[in-house]
Amino acid sequence: MTVTLSASVPTTSARRRKPVNRSRVAAWIAVAVIGLFGLAPVYWLVVTALTPDERAFSFPPSLIPTEITFDHFAKLAENQQLFGYLVNSVIVSVITAVLSVIVSAYMAYAFAKFRYRGRRSLMHLVLASQLFPQALLLVTLYAVFSATGLLGSYTALILSFTTFTLPLCVWMLKGIFDTVPSTLMEAAAIDGASRWRTLHTIALPLAAPGLIAAGLFAFVRAWNDFIFALTLADPARQTLPPGLVHTYLGEFQTAWPDLMAASFVVSLPVIAAFMFLQRYLVGGLTAGAVKG
Amino acid sequence: MRKLTNGQFAWLLMAPGVALFLAIIAYPLVSALVTGFFEQSLVRPGRTFVGLANFADLLGGDFWPVLRNTLVFTIGASVIPFVLGYVLALALNSGLPGWLRGVFLFPWVIPAVVVSFLWLWIFNANYGVLNGLLGTEISWLGQPGTAMAAVIVTKTWSSFPWMMVMLLAGLQTMPKELHEAASVDGAGTIRRFRSVTVPHMKGIAGIVFLLEFIWNFQHFDTIYVLTGGGPAGATKTFAVAVYDTAFKGFDLGHATALGGLWMVLLLVLMVFYLRKEAS
Repeated sequence: MTVTLSASVPTTSARRRKPVNRSRVAAWIAVAVIGLFGLAPVYWLVVTALTPDERAFSFPPSLIPTEITFDHFAKLAENQQLFGYLVNSVIVSVITAVLSVIVSAYMAYAFAKFRYRGRRSLMHLVLASQLFPQALLLVTLYAVFSATGLLGSYTALILSFTTFTLPLCVWMLKGIFDTVPSTLMEAAAIDGASRWRTLHTIALPLAAPGLIAAGLFAFVRAWNDFIFALTLADPARQTLPPGLVHTYLGEFQTAWPDLMAASFVVSLPVIAAFMFLQRYLVGGLTAGAVKG
Repeated sequence: MRKLTNGQFAWLLMAPGVALFLAIIAYPLVSALVTGFFEQSLVRPGRTFVGLANFADLLGGDFWPVLRNTLVFTIGASVIPFVLGYVLALALNSGLPGWLRGVFLFPWVIPAVVVSFLWLWIFNANYGVLNGLLGTEISWLGQPGTAMAAVIVTKTWSSFPWMMVMLLAGLQTMPKELHEAASVDGAGTIRRFRSVTVPHMKGIAGIVFLLEFIWNFQHFDTIYVLTGGGPAGATKTFAVAVYDTAFKGFDLGHATALGGLWMVLLLVLMVFYLRKEAS
C-alpha cells in the first residue's frame, strides 16, 4: 500500500517525439502561476524575519529587502519565556513519538499478521476515528482530564496526541508488516521462537524504517498541534504554537518581524522531518486507497 | 501459564491502543452526545436534564449561520485547492523536472499556526504586503465579506500541495499505453483528459476530495488564529462555535448539543468516505 513517489521522470522518447509541445508550455505556465502563489508567502516570511523593524513598519513595503538584520533571531535566543515553550514542545513531541510508535506497532502487527474476531470492524473504527471532530472531543476530554487530575499536565497532551496519531501510524505500519513474509515467521516458530520473540527479533527490525517514519509523523503532529495544547496544558506547560499566540498576538502592536523569525525557527524541525517522510506520505494518508 | 490463542495474543497486542481509543475518543464522544441533553457548566459541578431544549434553542437561531459559514468555508477551501492541486499534478506529470514537486510541499509542511501568522501579516490592514501590492487600504480580516475569503485563501494555500501529491501519485499509476492508444485514435489533449485520465482518477480524486472536505468541515486552527470567528461571527464555523461556547461561554450543554448536530452531518460524510475507502 505504500506508494513510493518516484519523482516523475520524463521518458526521453516522449521528449523526442514532440519537439515543440504546446501542452508542455501550458504545464510550465501552470507551474509558474501556482508556484508564485505557493512560494511568494514563504519568501515574505523569510524576508520579514530579516527586515529591521523600522523598514517592516513602513508602507508600502519594499518587496526586495534593502537592509538585512539578524537581530530578530538574536532576540529569540534571549527570550526565556519562548525557551520554556520550546522545552515543553520538545518533551511532549518526543514522548508522543516514542509512545505512538510502540502502541501503533503492536496494533499494526496484530492487524497484519493475525485473523481474529472483531479485526475488520476495529480496523474500520481506527480509520474512522481520525474523522471525529476534535473540537467536540476536546470539550468532554477537558472534563475527563479535570476529573482525573491530569488537566494542565504533559500527560494530558501526550495521551491525546498519541491517540490522534494512531490511525495514520497503524495504517502505515500495517502496510509494512503486510510485506514481511509469513514464511520468515513460520521458520522462527519452527526454531522454537515464541510469537512475542518473533515480533521483536524479526518483524520489528525489518520494519525499522517504517517505525522511524511513524515516529517522525507523531512528532510533527504533536509539535504542530494548537487547539489541545491551548486548552489542556496550563501556562507553564504550553507548547510553541499556543505559546507564540500568547507571546505575540493580542498586543497593541504585533512585532511582526520577531514573529516571522520565531515562525521560521518553529517550522525548521517539521520541514526536516517531512524531507525524510516524503515517500511514506501517500500510502499513509490514503490508508490503502491508492494501489500502486 | 496457559498458552494464548492467536486471537488472544492479537488482542493483547492491541490492548494499549484500544485503551487509548476508549479513553480519549470513544468515552468523550459518547459523553458529549449525552451532555447535549443537559444544562451544564464547564466550571460548576452538577447538571440538570433539559431534554431537547438545547437543540431547540440552537435550531431556533445560532445553528443556521454557523452551518452556512461552515459550508461556505468547507466548499471554498476544498474545491479551490482541489482544482489547483489537480492542475499542478497534471502539469508536473507531463514531463517537468521531478524536483519541482518537492518545492511545492513547503506551504503544506509549515505548521498551521505559522501559516496563520504569515497570512495575518500578509492581510494586515496597515503594513500588509497585499495592500502594498494592490495600493489599497482594505481591512481584509475586519470585514465580513473579505474575512471569509481571506480564511479560504489561507487554508487553500496550506492544503493544495497535499492534493497535488495525492493526485500526482494517482496519475503516475496510469498506464502510458492508454494515452498512446488514444493518441493513435486521434484524440486530442482535452479528449484524452476526459476519456482516459478522468475515469482512471475517479477513485483517488473522490477520496482526496472527500477527505479534504471532512477535514475542512472540522477545521479550527487557521480560522481561530486569523479571525477568531469574527468579524461579527462571519467566519464562525462549527469548530469555532463549539469551542467558544464551551471555553468562553462555559456552556457545556449548548456546546455539546451544537457538537451533536455537527457530528450527525459529519457522520453522513464519513459513511461516504468509508464506503469509498472500502471499495
